[in-house]
Amino acid sequence: MSVPFSHILVYIDGSEGSLSAVMYAVLLAKQNNAQLDAMYVVDTRALSELVKAGIFLNSERDEYKNDLHNDAGRYLKHAEKLAKMKGVTINTIKDEGSAHRVVRDYVKEHNIDLLLLGGVSTIRSRRDELNSETDRLVRTVNCPVLLIKDEEEIWDDFDE
Amino acid sequence: MNLVNILNENLIKVPLTSTTKTDVLVEMVDILADGKNWDATQKAQVLKAVEERESLGSTGIGKGICIPHAQSEAIDSICLAVGISKEAIDFDSPDNLKSKLFFLVVAPVSAASAHVEVLATIARSCSSATFRRLLEQSKSSKEVLQLFAE
Repeated sequence: MSVPFSHILVYIDGSEGSLSAVMYAVLLAKQNNAQLDAMYVVDTRALSELVKAGIFLNSERDEYKNDLHNDAGRYLKHAEKLAKMKGVTINTIKDEGSAHRVVRDYVKEHNIDLLLLGGVSTIRSRRDELNSETDRLVRTVNCPVLLIKDEEEIWDDFDE
Repeated sequence: MNLVNILNENLIKVPLTSTTKTDVLVEMVDILADGKNWDATQKAQVLKAVEERESLGSTGIGKGICIPHAQSEAIDSICLAVGISKEAIDFDSPDNLKSKLFFLVVAPVSAASAHVEVLATIARSCSSATFRRLLEQSKSSKEVLQLFAE
């Protein structure tokens, strides 16, 4: 692990919190002169679960997968825009699969030394705790993790 | 995704009054329309989308659960309604069992990720026989909401 950080990854899941995490990641990368990557994982695990459960038809799975990829493209473009506003170079990655596994593997393969996450909601039920991809990521990833909160403050800092 | 974030007591109905599949879909859309203050056009568009999806294949998934769902540009955020029927209703489910638990999920096309997440969360929650039984036995919308919050 290097301090200051030299290779940062921010995980985007489409939540407002994860967009705040992108802003913070951009500021942090600029301050540390670090390489910055942003990743969005299309949750094909959830799609498969829905087909297996009989909730989705196969045609729906394909249609929603396309929509999810469009979502991913939109959020990653937004991340690029935010980085450009601060003169930071960002590498955006779109992948698919089980989010916590894909991110964990990426961290390992690319020597990421800091992972930023946002959108960590208050756990409201035991089911949430068991099924939260973000929680699984925090527990299994092999690098320091920074959980972003105080979204309003971050937006203010970014706008300065 | 925590379902409690998009549910409230106004979006839950115990018991449903419908006795047929067609009427259940209308009643579930009514729950959303009333709870979300939709106008007549929004309600009609959502009902059409839900019925069109249902015509492609039953959203009864077995074990007494039905998850009708659709995308609609008539709304701007994801919506969920829950209905519990005291009498089981025939919903053409693959296991031929009648259903008492109904979850209606409607979302705009731009909310595909949230839509998938909500459907997956419902599927996971209802995979528990105990949870299903508790839902079927619940006597009020408050009780149902409490079950999702636990």
